[in-house]
Amino acid sequence: MALADYLPIPTSKLPAPLRGPSTKFVLEDGTPVHGMLAQYSKTPDLVHAVEAVRDAGYKVWDSFSPFPIHGIEESMGFSRTKLPYIIGVAGLSAAAMGFLLQWWISGDYPMVVQGKPFTAWQPFVPVTFEIGILITAFTTLIGMFAFNGLPRHHHPLYQSERFLSSSDDKFFVYIEATDERFDPEATRKLLEKTHPDHIELIGQRD
Amino acid sequence: MTQLSATQYKRRLKRIAEHPAMSAENITADRASMDKAAAVMIGIGAILLALTAAGAVIVNGRHALASYAVGVYAVTAISLGAMFWVMVFELVRSGWSAGVRRQFENVMMNIPLCVVLIAPILIFELAAGGVLFHWMMDDADAYLVNKKSSYLNPAFLAIRFLLYGGIWILLAMKLWGYSMAQDQTGDRYLVNKARFTSSWGMLLFALSVAFFAFDFLMSPDYRFFSTMWGVYYFAGGTFSAIAVVAIICCIAKFFGRMTGAITAEHTHDMGKLMFGFTVFWGYIAFSQYFLIWYSNIPEEVAWFTHRKENGWEVLAWLLVFGHFLIPFIILLQRPVKRSLVGLAIVGVWLLVMTTIDKTWIIRPMVYIRDFAQYNPGPAGWWLDVVAAAGVFAVWGGFLVRRIARVPLIPVRDPRLLKALKHKNYV
Repeated sequence: MALADYLPIPTSKLPAPLRGPSTKFVLEDGTPVHGMLAQYSKTPDLVHAVEAVRDAGYKVWDSFSPFPIHGIEESMGFSRTKLPYIIGVAGLSAAAMGFLLQWWISGDYPMVVQGKPFTAWQPFVPVTFEIGILITAFTTLIGMFAFNGLPRHHHPLYQSERFLSSSDDKFFVYIEATDERFDPEATRKLLEKTHPDHIELIGQRD
Repeated sequence: MTQLSATQYKRRLKRIAEHPAMSAENITADRASMDKAAAVMIGIGAILLALTAAGAVIVNGRHALASYAVGVYAVTAISLGAMFWVMVFELVRSGWSAGVRRQFENVMMNIPLCVVLIAPILIFELAAGGVLFHWMMDDADAYLVNKKSSYLNPAFLAIRFLLYGGIWILLAMKLWGYSMAQDQTGDRYLVNKARFTSSWGMLLFALSVAFFAFDFLMSPDYRFFSTMWGVYYFAGGTFSAIAVVAIICCIAKFFGRMTGAITAEHTHDMGKLMFGFTVFWGYIAFSQYFLIWYSNIPEEVAWFTHRKENGWEVLAWLLVFGHFLIPFIILLQRPVKRSLVGLAIVGVWLLVMTTIDKTWIIRPMVYIRDFAQYNPGPAGWWLDVVAAAGVFAVWGGFLVRRIARVPLIPVRDPRLLKALKHKNYV
């Protein structure tokens, strides 16, 4: 995943350092290879295919389906996200910061409210709670986008006519060329063993 | 269940019966040994309650009744919480809970016992002209008691108690009856009947629990009033009921029962509810305290002031940390929620905490006006432990007896197939 994925600008118009890693393989017309796409017609075929890809040790790849398939995350070998720990640390430290902020202010600029003691902790609780919730929600949203690479404005897969049916009646496995195990020959051989309808190489075009 | 044809429905019941987890060995408890355990528990409970009665003579009658009331109000909250969950599961047609619902029903069916256990408190109060109920006493603030006497008078209190007990027993018997009939016949429309009962039952439940809490846990200090009180008492029962069910399932699993019927997925869902309602309790408990603290109305604040002095502040802080913050941090962890043993350990902790919560509410009433008048010191504390443990033992004994007498899961519930296949996709 490169920074270029997030920007609403075609990759070719970006300066070279922002374009992300280029791959060593090229198509016949000289376009760098972005990845290899395999198409399936049946859900079980897709599930068996992703299991084969998982067992082959690929890391940078994905599967596409018109509808959710329960249990595919296990077949793809997803590990649990680290996001909850980041959210926990962010939320708790934000709550602590919120409490300290009020404590500091009421020490620095004490205000008489209903004759309540300046050192009372009770009035600080709602603000502490709200700050904690707010930062937790923000961290969740931003962290989710950071981890799943969304929102993306473009993807080289969209140049494939076949891929459009991933929102209709076909299933796809896509292995990206940035995976260190990616090799046009070996990857094609692996995918052919999973009985796909079709295999194609996708070029790095905008 | 009406969208299925009769043949489809029959096929579904057949598929449930053929499920590997539904073997007779797996879903029935060993009755002989369970009955023995129940007899031991009830025996221990009876001894402890006899010790409490002895403590009433040796130490102090008012103290003994308060300690007994603490235990009774705690187990009542748990039984009512279980009934709340049964009604919620029926109302929302919950699929995942079809298997564990039987254990909630078992806990729910201890409500008649709870009503029997509350009766002595009321009888002692009425006979003695106020033991903990300060508005019954002669030296109460005549003006205030007079103003409130149209509601707070002994005859109306007795009538209300019978009304609450009647509503609870009626609802529990109806829901239990449907569940039992379904075990026998597999009639699909019993699910709809249980759902209808839950619809009007939930309304009566909410009102009766709130007013029970007002009458028995709030009115002893007749000057105090809090509209949040009913919710506070109810919240204490919700997660405790799940805690008891988690403990039951953990023990059943230890003896090799309910394998495949109660999985980590069901445990996970119960853990989420336990977590959610622990937070709910913390939220409304603090809100109640916070508003009273801010508005600073003398008769409201006095209630908290009495519970922030003479050592009760230790219990108050114990509740903040032990009842909310520590369970909050522990139950945030996914592995704890997915482990039945982990959930059962947190469950035991929460049961202790909810009992301490009731102790903090009820026990200061013993010497609310004059601390020097009666202060047993640490030497009298054994009475609190003995009385609460006695009530819990008797209550648990009857629970164990009931668990042994019925299948561990509702064997012909049409939603059971969904429950057996239940999975959290997160």
